[in-house]
Amino acid sequence: MQEFETVIGLEVHVELLTKTKMFCGCSTAFGASPNTQVCPLCLGLPGGTVPELNRKAIEYTIKAAMALNCSITEEITFDRKNYFYADLPKGYQISQFFYPMGTGGYVEIHLNGSTKKIGIRQIHLEEDTGKLLHLGNIISSPYSRVDFNRAGVPLVEIVTDPEVRSAEEARLFLQKLRSILRYIEISDCKMEEGSMRCDANISLMPLGSKEFGNKTELKNMNSFRSVYKGIEYEVERQRNILLEGAEVTPQTRHWDESKGLTKAMRSKFVSADYRCFPDPAIPPFDPPQEWLEEIRESIPELPDSRFTRFVREYELPPYDAEVLTGSREMADFFDAVLTLYNEPKNVSNWIMSEFLRLLNSTNTEISECRIKPEDLGELLNLMDKEVISGKIAKGVFEEMFASGEKPEDIIKKKGLVQISDENTLSKIIDSVLEGNPSSVEDFHSGKNKAMGFLVGQVMKETKGKANPQLVNKLLKEKIEK
Amino acid sequence: MELPNSSIQQIKTKINENTSFLDELGESVSQRCSKVQKKLNAFISFDPQFIAEQIEGIKNTVHNSKNLSLLGVPFALADNISTSEQKTTCASKFLATYQPPFDARVTSILKANGAIAAGKTNMNEFGVGCSGDSSYFKAVKNPCDTKHTSGNGAAAAVLTGAVKLSLASDALGELRQAASYCGVIAIKPTYGRISRRGLLDYASSLEQIGIISNSTGELAAVMETLFGYDPEDVSTLDAKVPAYSLMLDKNTNKIHAAVPEDWSDAPYLQDHIKILFQEQINKLEDLGIKIDLISLPHFRYASTAATIISAVEAFSNLANYDGIRFGYRGEAKHLQEMYTQTRSEGFSSKLKKFLTFGSLISTANYYHDYFLQSQKMRSLITIELDTCLQKYDLLLTPTTPFTAPKLDHPSPMNGELADPAGFYTAAANLAGLPALTFPVNGSGLPFGLHFMAKRENEIELLKTALLLEKEISFQKPEFDI
Repeated sequence: MQEFETVIGLEVHVELLTKTKMFCGCSTAFGASPNTQVCPLCLGLPGGTVPELNRKAIEYTIKAAMALNCSITEEITFDRKNYFYADLPKGYQISQFFYPMGTGGYVEIHLNGSTKKIGIRQIHLEEDTGKLLHLGNIISSPYSRVDFNRAGVPLVEIVTDPEVRSAEEARLFLQKLRSILRYIEISDCKMEEGSMRCDANISLMPLGSKEFGNKTELKNMNSFRSVYKGIEYEVERQRNILLEGAEVTPQTRHWDESKGLTKAMRSKFVSADYRCFPDPAIPPFDPPQEWLEEIRESIPELPDSRFTRFVREYELPPYDAEVLTGSREMADFFDAVLTLYNEPKNVSNWIMSEFLRLLNSTNTEISECRIKPEDLGELLNLMDKEVISGKIAKGVFEEMFASGEKPEDIIKKKGLVQISDENTLSKIIDSVLEGNPSSVEDFHSGKNKAMGFLVGQVMKETKGKANPQLVNKLLKEKIEK
Repeated sequence: MELPNSSIQQIKTKINENTSFLDELGESVSQRCSKVQKKLNAFISFDPQFIAEQIEGIKNTVHNSKNLSLLGVPFALADNISTSEQKTTCASKFLATYQPPFDARVTSILKANGAIAAGKTNMNEFGVGCSGDSSYFKAVKNPCDTKHTSGNGAAAAVLTGAVKLSLASDALGELRQAASYCGVIAIKPTYGRISRRGLLDYASSLEQIGIISNSTGELAAVMETLFGYDPEDVSTLDAKVPAYSLMLDKNTNKIHAAVPEDWSDAPYLQDHIKILFQEQINKLEDLGIKIDLISLPHFRYASTAATIISAVEAFSNLANYDGIRFGYRGEAKHLQEMYTQTRSEGFSSKLKKFLTFGSLISTANYYHDYFLQSQKMRSLITIELDTCLQKYDLLLTPTTPFTAPKLDHPSPMNGELADPAGFYTAAANLAGLPALTFPVNGSGLPFGLHFMAKRENEIELLKTALLLEKEISFQKPEFDI
């Protein structure tokens, strides 16, 4: 059967975390009642002028461009993309068509143990549109209303080169992109709330071919999962068409999450002349070199270099490093624990098992979590000093997670200090041996299992507080006597 | 009191001497405007009641406002400058009943300085051109001969003494052309000197608010008040505003002016203007102004380039007129139909032609051949003028190639792209340079001498105007109101 190569280019829109809109002072907060965050400017009323540019929005875009390894434009300019639609108040969208803020960058993804670079063609700043509200769906709704709260919110668009080769690569790319943008704190990248949106241009070509096939543009994917599933579906759909010897129709398609399929929306490339031209009301402006330097210096260590550092310096397995550097908060947490307790693999184990389990099961963000890194460090120290056993430590950790209390306090309050006193333990062991003569006999007749049972009895007596190593040692001495 | 003969200073002094003068003033303004309106149709909005309210307002606060720079000075605004207390129609059906929710920056400044808003003046629909024949509210007649156009109501209102000063916009020279037709002084300042916030502009990169006055001294006072940086308009200049009134009195160095050697090649140049302009050159030389004929090879293409650029900007600037949020809305069942009905019915056919032209030449097919070529021409003209004005203090031409056209024969045109009335004026808009027209009387209708100066060098224009005012026994054109 004929083999195909998948070619995917992604267009990602990300809402910036600025407090105000791009060209006016209106709030950008999510979830307000319709049309309560608007003014004559973002409503596109006549006579509105562009005020001083939102420096934060420009700064964030430059920061993102730098973090994505792009070169930065020498002159910042804005253009108008002209088209009519009810959610577009001015009849044009202010964007950066001719000179994007950044070009020629890349993002690295880790796939099957190797690293792949996905090229970033461009990143630019533009303003968001309003939102149409329908009763039910757009076709059957008797009328539509427009909410302009979102109109004018600064939006960054990131366009990749057509170098993504599978749904899995697309998902990994988006996750890495989100991680980077969150590291630099320019967007919260919540796909569910629409602060991160992704369209995919998908085509197939015969393996080894250099000429791209007809592409479709896939929209309406509202989670990483639906990006993955949508692309998988679309690739399969196109493959079947090509195998039948037919042609793929270039069009925009909608991913229908509930039905798990893609649907044609409209034929593409028919009326796509946006008549772009430089915005005549916004003079070009050269970002001062010092400002660019300041922005560059404000970029923290990014996931990739952190990953490398974690593997090299801490000798963590790549899998651990990948998980720990997935979010800046997690990596910061890890680094902070290490300043108090310098056993990287040990800390990593705790975070990857206990900590992540608790975060996931309670659906908690690490930023909202009550455990402080120094408390985890302290807990691990207490374990190493044999103040508590590993088993007890897990319980204490859960308690810390729930209440935010310090481990010492919990241990003290609950009387959980490990019993490591030989005399105390000897007495308890003696009484256990006395009370379980049959187990002692079993041991002597070669049933090693009996030993485990006896240890368990000691633990039971001490409510798990006995130092397990010491119990083993003493029990052995006594029983073999 | 005879308002036309009282200066800004006299009005202020009289108010400060006796508050009851305000009643007399209000009455006089209302009567004068009313007569001018009846005879010339200079206003779109004029309301004696509103004038009376303002007079009351000033009375109540006069003890605090004695020193306001424009206390009691009646002014008019062209009807494309936003006023929250009066309609702002752009002389269009589309906005026939529109009242903006905010004041233009200039409106607020004039109010804050104690001036009295006498009315909103008539103009071409959306300020496009100065033919006087495209207002939804009918044409304005020329005070000097009512069979002729006055270009706009702003110039007519100042000449007839209905107001002391009026503001109107100037994208290709409309303001200066009308001033030339009516025999008044008008200045279009350097691009960015006056905030465009609240101006319903059609060509943002070319258009400025300009000032019309009967006297150079008063023009200087108004410029000081209106000029300045506005954080709400990113296109304003962040430059110090000179104290023009003080500087006017200082001695002038010998003025060195240039005249384009091919000035008489303007299409439709009237013979008597050719003769008059030559006479004026001789007179100026008698006054000690040194005049050279120089070569400016690109100057003659200015109005064509400006027309193309303005058409592209206009189609985009007016794209917000969609019937959704304000103004006229056509009857329709669907969005697309609503756009078509609204814009077909809300705009005049002349304006629609202009917008269609702008829309056409900004499509990918024509962008390079028309719009980009025009922008290149704009750069060439800007360099040419900047270079010329490095050497010369002024560039001198007629303001218009002809005197005010007859109302039933608007601007002579014979298939040209650009309005021939803008032949001399459009270059100042392309290059963003300050320009002033000064009235000259021959037999018959008035016409203007046009001066351009270096960027931000308005003082040079004022000094020249003052010299002419003093030396060429300046006589106001005759009119009968």
